[in-house]
Amino acid sequence: MPPGSLALLAQGAVVSLLLAAAAIVGGTLLAVLLATIAFARFAAVRAVYRVYVYVVRGTPLLVLALLLFYAMPALDLRTGPYIAGTLVLIVYTGALFAEVFRGGVLAIPRPQWESARSLGLPPLAMFRKIVAPLVTRYTLPPYVNVCVMSVKASSVLSIISVWELTLAAREIIERTFAVFTILGLAAAFYFVMCFGIDRLGRLLERHLALKGFAGERA
Amino acid sequence: MIAVRGLQKSFGTARVLRGIDLDIADGEVVALIGRSGCGKTTLLRCINFLEEYDTGEIRLDGEELWYRTTPGGARRRVSEAEARRMRQQMGIVFQQYNLFPHMTVLDNVLLGPRFAQRVSVAEAEALGRRLLARVGLEAKMSGYPAQLSGGQQQRVAIARALAMRPKVLLLDEITSALDPELVGEVEDVIRSLLSDRIMMVLVTHALGFAREVAHRIAYLADGAIVELGSPADILDRPKDPSLKEFLRRVR
Ligand SMILES: Nc1ncnc2c1ncn2[C@@H]1O[C@H](COP(=O)(O)OP(=O)(O)OP(=O)(O)O)[C@@H](O)[C@H]1O
Ligand SMILES: [Mg+2]
Repeated sequence: MPPGSLALLAQGAVVSLLLAAAAIVGGTLLAVLLATIAFARFAAVRAVYRVYVYVVRGTPLLVLALLLFYAMPALDLRTGPYIAGTLVLIVYTGALFAEVFRGGVLAIPRPQWESARSLGLPPLAMFRKIVAPLVTRYTLPPYVNVCVMSVKASSVLSIISVWELTLAAREIIERTFAVFTILGLAAAFYFVMCFGIDRLGRLLERHLALKGFAGERA
Repeated sequence: MIAVRGLQKSFGTARVLRGIDLDIADGEVVALIGRSGCGKTTLLRCINFLEEYDTGEIRLDGEELWYRTTPGGARRRVSEAEARRMRQQMGIVFQQYNLFPHMTVLDNVLLGPRFAQRVSVAEAEALGRRLLARVGLEAKMSGYPAQLSGGQQQRVAIARALAMRPKVLLLDEITSALDPELVGEVEDVIRSLLSDRIMMVLVTHALGFAREVAHRIAYLADGAIVELGSPADILDRPKDPSLKEFLRRVR
């Protein structure tokens, strides 16, 4: 193995993980907002949601990344790709998370809404005490799915010269031609990160499992 | 007291309530009986505004609920905030308990007082404990709904409704989903409420229980109250032919 390449790849992996973390945190916040819009009283507001999801979901991440990258020439050249790259990931995962959450809201049984309504719970309490806890539990598996995907999706950003795991690997390969060793190592790094997120998701699932149900330990 | 006047409700072209007039005095328990599909549940849901209605008015202690008529004569729903305030004066218990599965029994009971009525934590907890003791479930306080039997869940649901200190309890066939041996414990809770003189509207198929706890029984058929009177009048001396037929079938 070319000397020093492992350290470089590890640094790249840290950047990838940071990008994914930003995408997950930012995307989740964006998705909560989007999913709220999805259930707005006015049809015109709901249409905004649909257009957003269709457009973002219907465009390849690579094309989105290039679009935003070239649309941000005003930014400093060194920070440019990182900001554009982070934004593009947030925009993308936001649309995916939003659909996950929307599905979760739709899964809340009507009697649960009616019980909450009959208590006269104000909207914020309704969200915090009923909607958010139930949707979290219903959507954890598909939510983790999108989280894992966002780690891998960050590799696309190497195209707009965001230095992360994939770009680090390509640089080493250009110098050393150790194609399979380096790509294999990079894949292993991705796998470990994804596996870690998966495990975290499982832990959370177990922690949040509704008590007293048969599926508790599934 | 509650006054319902000329309440009408359609689902599309199906007229489900065709002009309901009903008064409930303070401390009075009124049982609603009638065959399946006659509109009992719909009437309860309209009273609590889980269902919108087309015409008619509902008053609680003189205040008109759910709709306002503008000076121009148009009928408008009250604001969401107003509706929430009005709902807090009523408790409803459904056939299927509908407890919140992610909260402990105590938190289920506390939820309304804490977040709708903004009672302090300490006060809400004291109230919750007292109500759970009253329905015989203090020991299950920190359990979760799915860990309870149907009868226990239904008693929690009653405690949750009572926690709002409602003027009215609306009870929709609250023992119908229970195994026969669990019906008694839930009925006992309702009996124990009689001394509180809280108004109750009780939809039930259990005629014996209705006779025992209700001051008056209303027989609904086809979206209208066909006969209304004391339990003895309705159950022992029915006049309406369809009520006679209904009683013959239920017995
Ligand atoms: N959401 C709805 N949409 C359309 N029709 C409805 C709806 N809810 C109720 N109905 C109809 O309204 C009528 C009255 O229903 P309701 O549930 O009030 O009857 P009920 O007296 O409570 O019957 P049960 O004793 O079976 O509970 C029924 O014919 C029913 O099919
Ligand atoms: Mg019914």
